[in-house]
Amino acid sequence: MTADAPYDPTSDGELQQEFVEQWRNAAYGCFSSGHKFCREVCPVMQVTRNENHTPTAFHANVVAMEQGAYGIADVAEDYVHCTQCGACELRCPNTLFTGDFYRNRTQTVKLVKAMRALAVDSGVEQPHWKRWIEATVDRRNEPVLEVPVEQERVRDWAEGLDLATGGETVLFVDCEAAFFRTSVARSTAQVLNAAGVEFGLMREQWCCGGPASEMGYTAHARNFAEHNVADWRAIGARRIITLDPHDYITFTEDYPTYFGAAYDFEILHITELVADLVRDGKLTFTQPIERVVTYHDPCRLNKRKGIHESPREILRAIPGLTFKDVDHVTQWSYCSGAGAGLAIEKPEITAEISRRRVTQAADLGVDALVSACVWSERPLSEQGAKLEQPLDVIDLMELVAQAAGVDGRGVTAVRSGGAVAGVRGGEASRGAPEALA
Amino acid sequence: MTAPPIAQSDPFLDELRSILGPDGVRADKPARWNRTRVPAPFPVHRWADYAPDVVVLPRTAQEIAGVVRLANRHGIPVVPRAGATGLNDGAVPLRRGIIVDVKRMNQIREIDLVDRTVTVGPGINMLKLNEELRKHGVMFPDDPASYPCSLVGGRIGTSGWSLIGGRYGHTRDLVISFEIVLPTGEIIRVGDGGGRKIRKSSTGYQLKHLFMGHQGTLGIVTEATLELVPRPEVEFAAFFHYPSFQAAYESTGALTKSGLATLAGVVLFDEWKLRYLRRDDEAYIPQAENVRAVVATAMYGTRDEVKPAARRLVRTARESGGTYLGDEVSQGDWAARHDRYATPLHGRLRTTGQVVPMSWHCEDAAINYSALPQVMEEWHAIADRIIDRYGIFDDWGMFFYTNAAHKPWGDYLVEIDIGIWEQKLDDVNWAGWVEAKHDIAAVALKYGGSITACHGATREGDAELAAEEMGGGFEVMKAIKRVLDPNNIMNPGKYELDTAYDPNAPSPFSGRRTGGN
Amino acid sequence: MLGFLLSRQRPPEARRINDDVIMRFDHVYEVAPGKMDLFPQQDIPAWDTLRIVASRWDHLAWMHDHWADSVLGVEELESEADDPDLDGIQASGVPSG
Repeated sequence: MTADAPYDPTSDGELQQEFVEQWRNAAYGCFSSGHKFCREVCPVMQVTRNENHTPTAFHANVVAMEQGAYGIADVAEDYVHCTQCGACELRCPNTLFTGDFYRNRTQTVKLVKAMRALAVDSGVEQPHWKRWIEATVDRRNEPVLEVPVEQERVRDWAEGLDLATGGETVLFVDCEAAFFRTSVARSTAQVLNAAGVEFGLMREQWCCGGPASEMGYTAHARNFAEHNVADWRAIGARRIITLDPHDYITFTEDYPTYFGAAYDFEILHITELVADLVRDGKLTFTQPIERVVTYHDPCRLNKRKGIHESPREILRAIPGLTFKDVDHVTQWSYCSGAGAGLAIEKPEITAEISRRRVTQAADLGVDALVSACVWSERPLSEQGAKLEQPLDVIDLMELVAQAAGVDGRGVTAVRSGGAVAGVRGGEASRGAPEALA
Repeated sequence: MTAPPIAQSDPFLDELRSILGPDGVRADKPARWNRTRVPAPFPVHRWADYAPDVVVLPRTAQEIAGVVRLANRHGIPVVPRAGATGLNDGAVPLRRGIIVDVKRMNQIREIDLVDRTVTVGPGINMLKLNEELRKHGVMFPDDPASYPCSLVGGRIGTSGWSLIGGRYGHTRDLVISFEIVLPTGEIIRVGDGGGRKIRKSSTGYQLKHLFMGHQGTLGIVTEATLELVPRPEVEFAAFFHYPSFQAAYESTGALTKSGLATLAGVVLFDEWKLRYLRRDDEAYIPQAENVRAVVATAMYGTRDEVKPAARRLVRTARESGGTYLGDEVSQGDWAARHDRYATPLHGRLRTTGQVVPMSWHCEDAAINYSALPQVMEEWHAIADRIIDRYGIFDDWGMFFYTNAAHKPWGDYLVEIDIGIWEQKLDDVNWAGWVEAKHDIAAVALKYGGSITACHGATREGDAELAAEEMGGGFEVMKAIKRVLDPNNIMNPGKYELDTAYDPNAPSPFSGRRTGGN
Repeated sequence: MLGFLLSRQRPPEARRINDDVIMRFDHVYEVAPGKMDLFPQQDIPAWDTLRIVASRWDHLAWMHDHWADSVLGVEELESEADDPDLDGIQASGVPSG
């Protein structure tokens, strides 16, 4: 019937067969629906409009692989086109309408991670991811661009704050916040201090391992996790505060699968904690902020965890602030494009997703876009700066620090951009990993 | 006409790239396989038979015209594809060839708030469009069950039906005019007469209606000018239950004949549908046993209109035997009907009651009110037969929706929802399914109805009966096809239109069905 | 407890609603697990079930808002007892005519 050379199902060996066996039912769960309610909420699809990049195709490919039509090498590059934002799997009727009833929901993010892992394990690697992960392994932290990343400098951001090491409560500071947008880390630490929350830092914090897991480098991801959990145990940690939604996902979804029931840490996200502190009167906002802002729901909080109230509660508590909200369901189809390595392998798509996001914000007549995801803030800032009326991108904790009257600015102007002025970073974003060469 | 397969190194691909640019042409297997099927019944076990040779991703009408002209020169089939959410197989290629995927043509080209139109590319989705239109206090009220994912080009290709069409009209009423690339590459605009934004004209033949529902056999839509209506102030949804189908049926008649202009739609659920909903739907699991059939109603408009009309509607429902299901069920269920595609785990094996993933196959027809009870009985009997015989099917019940725009009383979109366990498909049970489809369509014709109200009748099992339904009109249809598409390149094989060129042309499906029964 | 703790993710014990349906969380129906032998269930943590349920209601509310400025319910119609238009409407559902 077709001009295609027959596919040799033995060429990918047992790995692919095992993969297909594991995912065939899930694949049919999507294939047999075929409704594609995922398509228009997918931030990547909104840009590329290429059906190869739909969550539907991501599932259907498993059925095609089961039929021996093609193999991992044919599809690996398509699976780069995903930020793992979770919009598709939430919007899928198999999740939204029946996922709780059947205790079985669409798991596109998990499938994408598994397919990427199959690719890596089969020797089909994406060049920029490969170098990114190699550098992460080498430096124990992600090689965030434009700044030097070394293990010895992982807590430089805290210079002069006199923070403790260890204790029951640990603040885990994401790589981008530790090395690039240090104002987020400093703001968070100072806000916690102002509210009387006792916490310490790790003895030696490594990358959480989430990015390696998202790009398919599962063994490396596990190594990072082993190190961090060992460090937590050694310092007597019981509670881990995350300031980055990506870390929150890693610690609540990846780590439990690594360590099982022995994983007994409470993982607490900063927006939930701060909203609670404000509610209890332990954190008060004394400094009015006369700005007009809107809020960007980070995908990993809103779509993947259902955390959308606490950031809004915080924003509404800040005196002087005019908050023009866009509801969190509308924002299921919003994204910065920064997640799951897209910005490393396809920076032009990330830039376009971010450009659309800041344009949507600017259309509301605001002068700043407040995010709560440090990874989103670099691409969003780059695009916000390009608008006719430049738009600041601020982290929620930067804003909270200012309202609480603490100085959250970063250790150097180059690396932070200042608390409320927003970062106007260079063009590099997370792409162009040539810088690593 | 069956052209030889296109090799991956074929110079033809270079010709395509010269028209569309390198990023506009994809010949890799995942690109082609993922543009082969739609949610309509699909023989997944024979996926490879249907995969196209190449996919193009145009951005302009001129690019599409170039592709079509090239296809004519080479005699290669062309199949347009928009959202690929259809419940018919219009976007499924029967003879490989070129898939023209219009998703990149999703721009809003003009919003005219004075003459109340919006002009868009065919690749735009209605929900996304309405998110933009809301800023202006207007909307485009075309509301299929695929509302969040189907695209305007496909709505025109199938002549779609809208859940709230009783109030606002269906796709054909809401699309004022559109631009189409003809099968020979000319770009024309069709409407009611010639004006791009004119809703009613007596100039010439009504070409908009000729191309509405073309199923890709007469060209490719590249732009559409759509109706804008005021954003409703109020939505009113009320669901009523009844102790029997007969009682609900009679109440449906009373409601639809009420003459209330804000009435957007009435939906009758039969007793099979209620049993099905009790499996897993939180609105129906807790309902008492005497809830055997349901009638859903909805109204939209200004508060001044809707409020008194709603009172009248509720009174009519109760006077005709209905009991109100409550605000929570009514409003919750209604809100879920804008994206009401079935999920696979509704599927149950009759023998064991086990849950298995079934594809949803929604068979639709247009049937007059008087014949609804008979059609219901006969359709369920057909479903019952294949469930027992093949063990991979399930009967998910029937809906009866008001069908005509602004005149909801006379005929109904009737659908029976049948689950198919696709993992178990083979030639034998696929042939059994096609036979059942054929029988379902034949029942519709027996009662003076139409094979399809909104999906299209190009599918295997239906297409064989299209000529019977249309009578002498089918000869006109073939003549039109022959004139507009002399080389039969547009979606060949659909509607058995090959017979327009050769009266003895074989069915496009013969040779694929080797099982039979 | 504001945060995530793995030991709290196990769903509550099930109680039976009917032959085919059970309930673990209040107002959240689930299929009787015995019906899922051929298509296995996933190990869905408590937070995820609750997220799905909340998201569904958020989505439905969003859909209403998408289609109209406000939603009119029968309860609202019937609460306005003084309204002369109420003629013939009875909350009991008993036909008035």
